[in-house]
Amino acid sequence: MTDDFRARARAWLAANAPRRAASDDEAEVQTRGQAAVLAEQKAFQAKLFDAGFAGITWPLAYGGQGLTSAEQIAWSQEAAAYDLPTGAFFIGISMPGNTLVELGTEEQKKRYLPKMLSGEEIWCQLFSEPGAGSDVASLQTTAVRDGDEWVLNGQKVWTSGAQYSDYGAIIARTDPAKPKHNGISMFIVDMHAPGVTVRPLKVATGHSPFNEVFFDNVRIPAANLIGEVNKGWDAAVVMLRHERIAIGTMGGSRTNPLAYDSLRDLAAGLGRTSDQGVRRELAELYARGRAMQLFALLLREETQAGRLPGARGSVAKLAGSELGRFAGNVAADVLGDQIAGFDEAELAAVTTAIIAAPGSAIAGGTSEIQRNIIGERVLGLAKDPGVDRATPFSQLRVGTQRQN
Amino acid sequence: MALILTDEEQALADSVRKFVADRSPLTSLRQLIASGEPYDAQVWKQMTAQLGLAGLTIPEEYGGVGAGKSAMSIALAELGAGLVASPLLASVLAAEVLLRLDDEAAKTELLPRIAGGELIATLAVASGAGGHVSAAAAGDGSATLTGSVSPVLNGAEAGVLLVPVTGADGGTVIYLVDGGAAGLTRTRLTAVDHSRSLARIALAGTPARALTGDGAAALAAATDLANLALAAESAGAMKACLDMTSDYARIRVAFGQPIGAFQAVKHRLADMEKSWELGYAAVRDAARAGDADPGRFGVAASVARVLLSGSYADATVDTVQLHGGIGFTWEHDAHLYYKNGLSNKVLLGAPGEQLDRLADSLGI
Repeated sequence: MTDDFRARARAWLAANAPRRAASDDEAEVQTRGQAAVLAEQKAFQAKLFDAGFAGITWPLAYGGQGLTSAEQIAWSQEAAAYDLPTGAFFIGISMPGNTLVELGTEEQKKRYLPKMLSGEEIWCQLFSEPGAGSDVASLQTTAVRDGDEWVLNGQKVWTSGAQYSDYGAIIARTDPAKPKHNGISMFIVDMHAPGVTVRPLKVATGHSPFNEVFFDNVRIPAANLIGEVNKGWDAAVVMLRHERIAIGTMGGSRTNPLAYDSLRDLAAGLGRTSDQGVRRELAELYARGRAMQLFALLLREETQAGRLPGARGSVAKLAGSELGRFAGNVAADVLGDQIAGFDEAELAAVTTAIIAAPGSAIAGGTSEIQRNIIGERVLGLAKDPGVDRATPFSQLRVGTQRQN
Repeated sequence: MALILTDEEQALADSVRKFVADRSPLTSLRQLIASGEPYDAQVWKQMTAQLGLAGLTIPEEYGGVGAGKSAMSIALAELGAGLVASPLLASVLAAEVLLRLDDEAAKTELLPRIAGGELIATLAVASGAGGHVSAAAAGDGSATLTGSVSPVLNGAEAGVLLVPVTGADGGTVIYLVDGGAAGLTRTRLTAVDHSRSLARIALAGTPARALTGDGAAALAAATDLANLALAAESAGAMKACLDMTSDYARIRVAFGQPIGAFQAVKHRLADMEKSWELGYAAVRDAARAGDADPGRFGVAASVARVLLSGSYADATVDTVQLHGGIGFTWEHDAHLYYKNGLSNKVLLGAPGEQLDRLADSLGI
């Protein structure tokens, strides 16, 4: 059964997967423009959906294929040989999508999941705020009930893909009189609704892969609540779990400038592979990169065998960030003084990747937060004291409430 | 080719773990330290005659079990977790050399006795400044060997020693030396790791028999297997350190709460968990490759060893540190792992050599 699926996937990929010069969406956008990249990705996702390779483990009733993680693993393994142009859909499907599969109403699942898989609608995730990063439960965006609607006000930040998203999964405070974790709800928000403003957020690399999103009296239908009122933190934990597993197990793209193959070729091109220090660093990079792949494979096999990874997704997330940082150091050592001054045409990709490397230890939950999760939920250590856990949110001196 | 254990492998792990808990808990290692014995002969007899551990990698035609490298790595992980002192690693590596040679007489004579545990064999090889041996031919495949090698696993107890000699032509020949041969001096060294017995081997015109076959290939195969074996032992021992230290962080209270609540403690344990998971996955991959994908085995075993050499040694230091004062006492077990970590990191190839070898295999 899985072998048939694998053979079908392999044949389809060979016939349909486009060859791309760069796997990095940001690099693609820089050279070809956002609109062209997005059009290509939407068209490819539609083909993927029509061919029966989108939402492999999702139920048939919601546009999925109703298959098992065995087929998902087979697909991932076959697709690893390509850099598929599906970046715009990665967040939506793996985070809000998987969360809706778990927690959505029947109407929500029927309305939103098929169009997510077919590439017709793109989703983003709206959690972080300027005053609520690692401590995201202290968020200040509010949703106030008004008849059959909720009225949303506030600001989100670090939102990937908001500039081209149709919908977002957002968490907002619905009861400030309750302690911070107990007064949050999750909603589906229409990113084209009046009152939604998206602004690009420029980061250290000089590029703008993220956005700030402002909500000014945005009206959300009551039916767009995900899960229960004031149980949004539970829904957020579900989504964050999917996020860590997705990020931790997505595997490096084949043309990542900090991947072992890329840096070995770079070192060879610069005549640096005769340097024993560089050779040893490259060998260690290979070992560390390989271990990440193998750990991701082990998690998938365990899932298939019925043992869910749970908080061990945080191990993958933490290890991936550390691998990126190590690879950045190796790249810098390979380049030597060439990193101080370089020819834009030759070394822009690798130097940008070096500059971007520390970001992965922040995005999607900092490494410090991952270590808390691993310590508490994998090793069973005592919880962080969290001195504000029992205090009504309205009495906390967080975010702009510090000035009150 | 899955990384997760099969039911059969899980059963092997469970039975070895139970054996370690029943017959060779850490208190036994302390008795050995006091007695000065290299290992407990009764425990070794049970490991071999009862559990068949010395024959796991030896095919049935030579008196072994023929279970393979994955089974061996699973048994070694459990033995490593309990710091069980035994000549198993020495025997497994010597058997691998014999299996890779084509000297049928030596295989038929030696392998069944190694598999049964009656004969302890060892590979007299050391890296770096570990010595040098030269051979003088005496006709009929026999020769005399002169030189020294140190440290050699169970060199003082071995009934036979396999001594590689690289000739002037660059070729490597493996010589078989009897433990009672003339001109052989074996001096037990002070092993930093209490669970290992190590010796300096001095040869002075010692008679030896040249074994037929590709010595260099046999030596390379043994080095690959040593990488898997030491990585597997280290992974098992690292898990023991992680469990022991997590347990302590849950029950030890300071400043009004369990110390595991403090991020300074929690985050170090989280890092240990992360490194263990990565190392374990690499050990499983190497174990599978060893049985099912031999062309990939060398690199996979190097990857596992490179990862665990550093991370296990670091974990043992963190184990001492996170236990605080009690962790530095002789009575606490932390120092036993610390010393094991120091030794596992460098035996049969220190980290720099491990990375150089991996770089060579990768064609860097």
